[in-house]
Amino acid sequence: MLPLPRFAWQAPDTLHGLLDAAARPGARILAGGTDLLPSMKHRLHRPSLLVSARRLPELAAIYEDGDDLCIGAFATLRAVRRHPVVRAELPALADACATVATPTIQAMGTLGGNLCLDTRCAFYNQPEGWRQALGGCLKADGDVCHVARKGAGCYAAHSADTVPVLWLLGARARIAGRRGTREVPVSELYDGADGRRWLRLEPGEVLTHVLVPRRGAPVVHHKVRLRASIDYAALLVAVRREGSGARAVISAVGPAPVEVRAARAEELPDLAHARVKPLGTHVVSTAWRRHMVRVAVRRALDACPVP
Amino acid sequence: MSGAGHRGGGVTDFSTYLGPEDTLAGRPAEGGIVGRSGLASGTGKVDGPPKVTGAAVYTADLRLPRMAHAKLLRSPHAHARILAIDAAEALAMPGVLAVLTGADLPGRHGPIPVARDETALAVDKVRYRGEPVACVAAVDEATAREALARVRVDYEPLPAVFTLDEALDPGSPAIHEHLARKAARTGRSPNVLRRVHQSFGDPDAGFAEADLVMEESYFYPGSTHVPLEPHAALAAPEPGGRLRVWTSTQNPHSVHRTIAAVLGLDPAAVRLTKPEVGGGYGGKCDTFVTELCASALALRLGRPVRLALEREEVFYAHRGRHPTRMRVKMGLKADGRITALELEALANGGAYASYGVVTAYYLGVFGTLPYRLDHYRFTATRVYTNLPPCGPKRGHGAIQPRFAIELHLDRMAHALGLDPAEVRLRNAVEPNTVTVNGLRVTSVGLRECVERVVEASGYRDKRGRLGPGRGVGLAASAYMSGALHPTYANEGPHSMVQVKVDRSGRVTILSGTADIGQGSNHMLATVVAERLGIEPADCTVVEADTDLTPVDLGSYSSRVTFMAGNAALQAAERVRKRLVSAVSAELGCDPADLVLRGRRVFVRDEPDRGVDWRRAIALAEAEAGALGAMGSYRPPRIGNRFRRQSVGPSPAYSFTAQVAEVSVDLETGEVRVEHVWCAHDLGRVLHPEIAAGQIEGCVYMGVGEALLEEQAYRDGLLRAPSLLEYRVPTVHETPAIHPILVESHDPEGPFGAKEVGEGPQLGTVPAIAAAIHDATGAWLTAPPYTPDKVLAALRRRGVR
Repeated sequence: MLPLPRFAWQAPDTLHGLLDAAARPGARILAGGTDLLPSMKHRLHRPSLLVSARRLPELAAIYEDGDDLCIGAFATLRAVRRHPVVRAELPALADACATVATPTIQAMGTLGGNLCLDTRCAFYNQPEGWRQALGGCLKADGDVCHVARKGAGCYAAHSADTVPVLWLLGARARIAGRRGTREVPVSELYDGADGRRWLRLEPGEVLTHVLVPRRGAPVVHHKVRLRASIDYAALLVAVRREGSGARAVISAVGPAPVEVRAARAEELPDLAHARVKPLGTHVVSTAWRRHMVRVAVRRALDACPVP
Repeated sequence: MSGAGHRGGGVTDFSTYLGPEDTLAGRPAEGGIVGRSGLASGTGKVDGPPKVTGAAVYTADLRLPRMAHAKLLRSPHAHARILAIDAAEALAMPGVLAVLTGADLPGRHGPIPVARDETALAVDKVRYRGEPVACVAAVDEATAREALARVRVDYEPLPAVFTLDEALDPGSPAIHEHLARKAARTGRSPNVLRRVHQSFGDPDAGFAEADLVMEESYFYPGSTHVPLEPHAALAAPEPGGRLRVWTSTQNPHSVHRTIAAVLGLDPAAVRLTKPEVGGGYGGKCDTFVTELCASALALRLGRPVRLALEREEVFYAHRGRHPTRMRVKMGLKADGRITALELEALANGGAYASYGVVTAYYLGVFGTLPYRLDHYRFTATRVYTNLPPCGPKRGHGAIQPRFAIELHLDRMAHALGLDPAEVRLRNAVEPNTVTVNGLRVTSVGLRECVERVVEASGYRDKRGRLGPGRGVGLAASAYMSGALHPTYANEGPHSMVQVKVDRSGRVTILSGTADIGQGSNHMLATVVAERLGIEPADCTVVEADTDLTPVDLGSYSSRVTFMAGNAALQAAERVRKRLVSAVSAELGCDPADLVLRGRRVFVRDEPDRGVDWRRAIALAEAEAGALGAMGSYRPPRIGNRFRRQSVGPSPAYSFTAQVAEVSVDLETGEVRVEHVWCAHDLGRVLHPEIAAGQIEGCVYMGVGEALLEEQAYRDGLLRAPSLLEYRVPTVHETPAIHPILVESHDPEGPFGAKEVGEGPQLGTVPAIAAAIHDATGAWLTAPPYTPDKVLAALRRRGVR
């Protein structure tokens, strides 16, 4: 058995209390825990306090809000996938939720947890003794990046299955802090410069809702992996046609998703292939992942109806 | 769950799980098993309900009063000298009870007497990353784990050896010092555990006779077993200075002996029990650090000690498939007849011998089955490297060469424009023959296997006709039903079984066998019940407890049904004779006219003239006292034509043919195995569902090795030390599996039965490889067929 390190746990019953707790040093939000808890078992994170939103059911609610579907950040991936509006109007989001890990993990993991998922790397998401034998890495307990020894920083890969789809749908993240609430497009939530600081949340801020526009051109989600279940993405692609052009958001290749636009849709696969260069963050071969950028974008585009 | 109720372990009461639907309807006549109805068809697998409901008790579930917990400190270096170990800081922690290091358990052990090179904990040197160096016992698991960081070990790193080529280099650093001295004398590499060279017939003449000779290289990767249950042991001191051990093992007898030897105890002072085991596949054949450290700590502390591995640690315990580089040279006549075969195999064995001496033989010896060969030679070499030790995994040592030979045969059939199925039939070994290397072959169902699998799959209609990206492939194979020779020299039986009959009618079967999920308990109950005319539900099996059960050598080499089944049959037959004697005296009839069936003993032609089961028992007890018997099995002494051939001979061989159907995405290289039809000659079907389940398990494991699994390293560090990164197939990657049971009625098997637990895996990977060729035109010589490798091969061929 891999034991969890010791930590305190709180479940405030007001948003104010949640934000207070989240602002304490060493605190982390528990939003399903399907990635956080295994990572804690591997001693990748050692929070002193885990803050649960289980007493704040409104943060797990999903409701229609004008032109948006408002999804509480603590709604489970299963609840999102099964929601009638998601199924009818946002099928790509349902598809993306259904590709996360396994059905049992989808029943535990949350949409907000997925948006805030830690970046991943073959040298980072490993047991403690393994990492010690390696000598650690930039992201944990070391000062060398094993992916790119002469690189500028950490290249751990953004691996949140739902993000490329939400990005192209124009979804916005509502973020609460003790100084108030703000909304940012999901596309502005991430920083690709360094896999250690990929998420643009200030200390103490909590992602509370995801607002997804219900109208708009359809999006297609495509996840490349070796196994059809319980597998992180070797490559994540979402595409959307816009007039005669198209956009793709490609992830699992660096600390943040990458957006590629083409004035003419048929140019999108080659543009994406030229732009996106996966690094050795995965056990799966880098050359194959690079090859798959073009294939996956083209296949997603083929599946995407012309508006 | 806690307390003494769990301490029995290893007892299966069949009445609990078998419902009233298990009637005698459709049962065959006494002593005969007819067709595929099987012996106990419809009775379900007895360990199914407790396993799916969580009632089954595994070693890690056991709890005893004052039980302490142990954890292992493992080496961060692949090869290093241990300069000093300082455990003072750990020992000073509250709750820490003891720290063991290599010096506390210096006794060398290993399953094969000629290569005992392992210690419970590293002594003086570490030889792979992840090798256990120290063991901490504490009042709870968390404390033991925290204390590991306070054990200071000073290492002096040494140059390490990882690859076959490095290991074969005479200048490579010696991993085991005693071999360095020998190497200095011979000028050879100090890292060769065993090199076996054998030649039979006149291979050069055979090649000269051929119309086509082809020579190619193949590589089969390493992989590990991934049993659901990680290794675990619990040890407790018992009154009178005895030691009791519960452990998750396939080989209770061997572990029992090894614990006693390493701890310097009289084996009679050690009682070993195997609770339920959650799978082994060869990975629990060795004696492990769990058993040795828990035992040593229990004796030192005078309290129970539990040591259960974490999943990551199971990858270090390993003993998995040897990564093997091979060269195959084969000669074929224009009609497909094989004229000669030459095989060279180089296996990377990791840091310790484990069963590696045997592996070296298996790599070569089974080259002569399932095809008739007049000329054969092989060289097999097993080397040491600074990696976790390889050992036996399902199809031990036979999987790799069978992959290479089958794929090679397919290539040659293709080159000659022959039907690969026809080539297999043309070369099929005949029953009651002896192979050129001295293997005595009795029953052979290969022909029927090939014909039925070709028929069921539509192989001949599909091959070459499914269009681009789709294909079928075929492979055949043979495997042993138990090793003819024990792993340590002794003249005793390989299996002994005791059957005792209670006046209530209940029959208890005591056996040292280890049911590890494969169904050996059900097999024993089936064999005994069939002979006594009762039901498996009337039997209780007590297994794998050295104080209670007679010795059985263990669950390895696919030996249990054949050997323990025969021992059970002999014991049951002795009981039957007692019953028949007493009942015939009572009825005044000829004993030869009596039949045991339906819980009655009666006159064959006058079914109303007879007694019920309990009355028969009472009569037997009245006539000659306590009713029970022992049975035993020792393999026949088959004359060895070749003195060196102590590894490979078996009392019987199973045969398999299988067809895989695949689809390949020519743009991405992704392979999908759609169907596998697998026909297996298991002699006689004792239980159709369990037999089919073994075939499905073998094919499943083969699909994993074909598509996904590889125990790979980067500078000696495991690339995938978790089940997230070491990808076994999920239900999505598992093909539709179509098992076909073929019966060849082996003259020496219990009711004619042979093995079914390993053989069906041998052909899965080559069948998939042949199907990929049919789909793409590319011969892929090195699994696993991950999309990157497949795509690279397709590009080399100019497919897109």
